[in-house]
Amino acid sequence: MIDWMAFVIVLAAALAGTVAVVGFYSLGLKMLVRAGRVPVVSPAEFTDAITVLTPAEIKSAAKKAAKAARKNPLSPLQKKIAQFAAYACFTLCGAAVLFGIYLIVPALHG
Amino acid sequence: MPLDISLIIVLVIALALFFDFTNGFHDTANAMATPIATGALKPKTAVTLAAILNLIGAFLSTEVAKTISGGIIKEGEGGVMITPELIFAGLIGAIVWNMLTWLLGLPSSSSHALFGGLIGAALVGAGIGAIDFGVLTSKVLLPAILAPLTAGLIAFIATKLAYGVTRRYDGKPDGRSGFRYGQVFSSSLVALAHGTNDAQKTMGVITLALISVNLQSPSEGVQTWVVVVCAFAIALGTYVGGWRIIKTLGTGLTDVKPAQGFAAETSTAATILASSHLGFALSTTQVASGSVIGSGLGRRGSTVRWKTAGRIGIGWLLTLPAAGIVGAIAAVIAHLGTWGVIFDAVVGVGTILFIFLRSRRDQVGHHNVVSDVAASGEAVVIAPEPESKKVAK
Repeated sequence: MIDWMAFVIVLAAALAGTVAVVGFYSLGLKMLVRAGRVPVVSPAEFTDAITVLTPAEIKSAAKKAAKAARKNPLSPLQKKIAQFAAYACFTLCGAAVLFGIYLIVPALHG
Repeated sequence: MPLDISLIIVLVIALALFFDFTNGFHDTANAMATPIATGALKPKTAVTLAAILNLIGAFLSTEVAKTISGGIIKEGEGGVMITPELIFAGLIGAIVWNMLTWLLGLPSSSSHALFGGLIGAALVGAGIGAIDFGVLTSKVLLPAILAPLTAGLIAFIATKLAYGVTRRYDGKPDGRSGFRYGQVFSSSLVALAHGTNDAQKTMGVITLALISVNLQSPSEGVQTWVVVVCAFAIALGTYVGGWRIIKTLGTGLTDVKPAQGFAAETSTAATILASSHLGFALSTTQVASGSVIGSGLGRRGSTVRWKTAGRIGIGWLLTLPAAGIVGAIAAVIAHLGTWGVIFDAVVGVGTILFIFLRSRRDQVGHHNVVSDVAASGEAVVIAPEPESKKVAK
């Protein structure tokens, strides 16, 4: 007996969880960018599968980000709000992950 | 206890732990291939993190271990007597197949290798009636098709979402490199989920062996020392790292960007967590591979290398029967008695050594795991993505 219902539930639950985590994280990044705090995270090693970034390129990326931030049309208050929204998004994303951990540890939910 | 029983039980435990070890290094790639490929984590850091999380994960739950046999092999009345020889032969099949797919750099399912080996051994021991094909279809074969499709679909949607939300139409920095931080957490979650799932398969096998020689009553759960040794075996295997498979999964299927990697890892973790929570057995490896392909399809301008995907798919199809055949042959020899078991063990160790020595010829390690792809990136100036060119104007 193939339990199709279980499969549909797995698909729905996993999709909901993924969309929540990825969605909130992306939204958080967008808000950070809007607040003028563009994150520039260079690869830990030169292993980026497509492009190898030289130190000069990393520097120029950071410079470009800073320049874009300076031209930010938002007022200081709007920036603050955007930044707050970004942190709220990251918190929600983290909460979703913690909920996932809660689910895999039987000791936590009996 | 007679000598040959204690001999075989020691052999079974040793083999089971070695299987656990191969399981660890075979599956490091599931969690850590994408963060290594995007440079979110240094290769050494990544495998260390994965090893620690696997160790923790192994202690978190023993739910899967309790249901390891899963009813695929009919036990007890009217079924097969599970003997240590049967488990022994099954483990040999599983290990040989795991080592071979590692040599080829194929991310194949360790769970399927284990099931295949045990099924092959049971077929020899008790004939075709020993296998419950209904359970085999619904618990192993069907999930093997559905798992990568599910994970792939979710990763596809998640990749679209990640790119859609962070897209900028004015050509200014979009902060997508910030997904590298996220990757550290999402890949950790996959490693943790792997520890809770896969270490337990070995715990279940050892427990089954102990029960079969009456060293433990069936009603008891998994003994503490079994949990501890299994946790360390899988953590050690993870730390050693199956660099060949990391290479295939991180760079062989599609070129992974941070946003893609984050989407793929989250999809893998969510699918594994949802399915194991709802009692739907999926292979970690198949979920992870499906996610990587799905995220490759989800990013504009990226390509999926279907040739590699096809090779992996063939590996999946073969896993169950191939491990089964090795398990069956080992079972035939093991039925000859103590000398048969010893012969099995010697041939098994010899095969493992041969594969290991063969692998030394073209080593893949943390030093060169993705560097040749990176080197080709240096040589070729990659045109900017069409979408950004279009909207920059």
